[in-house]
Amino acid sequence: MGLRAYVVRRCLQLVVTFWAFFTLLFVLFRMMPGDPTSMFIMDGMTPEQREQRIAELGLNEPLHVQYIEYVRQLLTGDFGQSFIYNDPVTSIIAVRFMNTIVLMATALIFAYIIGITFGALMGWWRDSRFERGGIVVTLVARSSPEFWVGIVLLSVFVFWLGWFPSSGMRTTGGELGGGFVARYGSLDFLRHLFLPALTGAIAYLATPTLLMRSTMLDVLNADFIEIKKAEGLPERTVLYKHAARNSILPIVTVAAIATGTAMGGSVVIETVFNWPGMGREMVSAVNNNDYPLAMAAFFLMGSVVIIMNFVADLAYVYLDPRVEYE
Amino acid sequence: MTLLDIDGLKTYYGSDDGWVRATDDASLSIERGETVGLVGESGSGKTTLAKSIIRLLPDNAEIVDGSIEFDGTEITELSDRELRRQIRWSEISMIPQNAMNGFDPVYTVGDQIVEVIRHHEDDTSKAEARERGRELFDDLGIDPDRIDDYPHQFSGGMAQRAMIALALALSPSLVLADEPTTALDVVIQDRILETIKEMQEELNSAMIMITHDMSVVSETCDRIAVVYGGRIVELADAETIITNPRHPYTLGLRNAFPDISDDDQELISIPGTPPELVDPGEGCRFAPRCPFAEEECWEVTPQPESYGDGHQVECHRADEIEHLQAEAGKKETWREQDLGERKPVETADEQAAEAEVELDD
Repeated sequence: MGLRAYVVRRCLQLVVTFWAFFTLLFVLFRMMPGDPTSMFIMDGMTPEQREQRIAELGLNEPLHVQYIEYVRQLLTGDFGQSFIYNDPVTSIIAVRFMNTIVLMATALIFAYIIGITFGALMGWWRDSRFERGGIVVTLVARSSPEFWVGIVLLSVFVFWLGWFPSSGMRTTGGELGGGFVARYGSLDFLRHLFLPALTGAIAYLATPTLLMRSTMLDVLNADFIEIKKAEGLPERTVLYKHAARNSILPIVTVAAIATGTAMGGSVVIETVFNWPGMGREMVSAVNNNDYPLAMAAFFLMGSVVIIMNFVADLAYVYLDPRVEYE
Repeated sequence: MTLLDIDGLKTYYGSDDGWVRATDDASLSIERGETVGLVGESGSGKTTLAKSIIRLLPDNAEIVDGSIEFDGTEITELSDRELRRQIRWSEISMIPQNAMNGFDPVYTVGDQIVEVIRHHEDDTSKAEARERGRELFDDLGIDPDRIDDYPHQFSGGMAQRAMIALALALSPSLVLADEPTTALDVVIQDRILETIKEMQEELNSAMIMITHDMSVVSETCDRIAVVYGGRIVELADAETIITNPRHPYTLGLRNAFPDISDDDQELISIPGTPPELVDPGEGCRFAPRCPFAEEECWEVTPQPESYGDGHQVECHRADEIEHLQAEAGKKETWREQDLGERKPVETADEQAAEAEVELDD
């Protein structure tokens, strides 16, 4: 089977996966106890008012009608109105999602670049002091809870050294607006970004480092590494072009999944640094029984996981010639 | 003309129990264009001996003594950089046991041939290097267009041919072949060996063929070195090793391989296991397994004795060759149950105690 047929088949799989995913999401939300009105029950609310509110929200329709309406809206990119904010979900989420992407992508990129490099070197210099020390540092980073790392960074860099602002995304009263670059490229924003991104990077660092190290150890035992050394190639070439290049394959899959979950935002990091991202929004939406908002958040997060896996599969074809298109 | 002269080479591995003497006082010289077989059991140190020549040793291994003179250059004194530039692959290349694993799976075979050519020859263009790879493929009986295939797309025999192409890409003067045909079936084995011989003659490369297979060495090698316990116990031309060996270990090895022309031949194996190489002490290393061991064998390490025509043997009893050869052909000579009783009790006290412990088991 050729590459083209493989891609086509993989795309069809993608569609089926998506359908299963959003249907499951619909069912899960309808199975949840309580309904949005439970948040509105105030002293003066009569049963009639409550019924009326439910009808407004379309929750009195039979399930299959709700489902069809739900699919129609998804296909048109319309996630409906938030029950709580009374604003279109799309506009609420778009901003939050972008904030999370900028934060998490920065954290992930640093974690994976540093993790892959250090993991590769740890495998290469096996049994050295560098490797032993590296494992300890990695495990400490891995075992430290995000909130604790966040608080330590805050104490040191904000309250003690005073180098960075303590919370939020930008200084209050600062100029807002302009394009993407103006919003996310300003020095003020980057200063706010640094500590939460560092916290995230520390949390994500362990996986690529340890995985890279262990696959390096496997790959370094392979005969071809010895042949490449016998060929007289310099160590640097053997390390990067051959050993690390082969070791990176499993990292691709892990990175794809990590990206997927990271895009859901980290409730802990966002709370510690008061970052207006997806994680916090999703939690409050669930607490408020705000179906459309919570569902859109879950939908977005799940979509990223599915799409990243799809990308990883395609990347594998390019990275590993041994992958069979079957 | 001597191409390689190994003299008193000692390559030891560090371990928790002390030095493992994988190669202990080995001397061997090789002429240009000559093929020498290194024969011995797994763990006898034959691979360590060969890899010492290009210093392709694990981190815990060290060449502690001896010299390796290659074409006037003392290899043990080269810096890593000089070794990579002047010796590795351009002068000495190798063919691994399993060619399929000898190629990096994520690059095409052609890319890997081009990589090594261009690394050693600064002014060869990519196209020229590729063309040379294609010619080598053609010479070795592989379709030149397959140079753009990945290693996993090759069959075992073809991968081995491609590996030979890689090994010969820089026309080295010496090729180290580490059991190059063990992973292949017999018919292909034969063809590969022929191909190696043809190419080797064309380039006038010398070769060290490492194997535990007597039939492979007898077919391809000019001379054979029998390795036991890190030492070269017998060295002679192939004919002599096959028909007129003097070392009991060689006699035993010969028994263990079938002779197709002799229907009645009974295969006899050598009882016991290869020796511990941590601090082996004085005495012949083969003595514990040797049916002919005498008191002297346990106490004095035999030194190489010459028996004419470059035939060297490390054995105290090599003079009694008729007797040894006659006895070695009998199955009862190599009985396993005799092993424990062979060690003379009147040696050092410590050894006597050890022997008692063995008997108690």
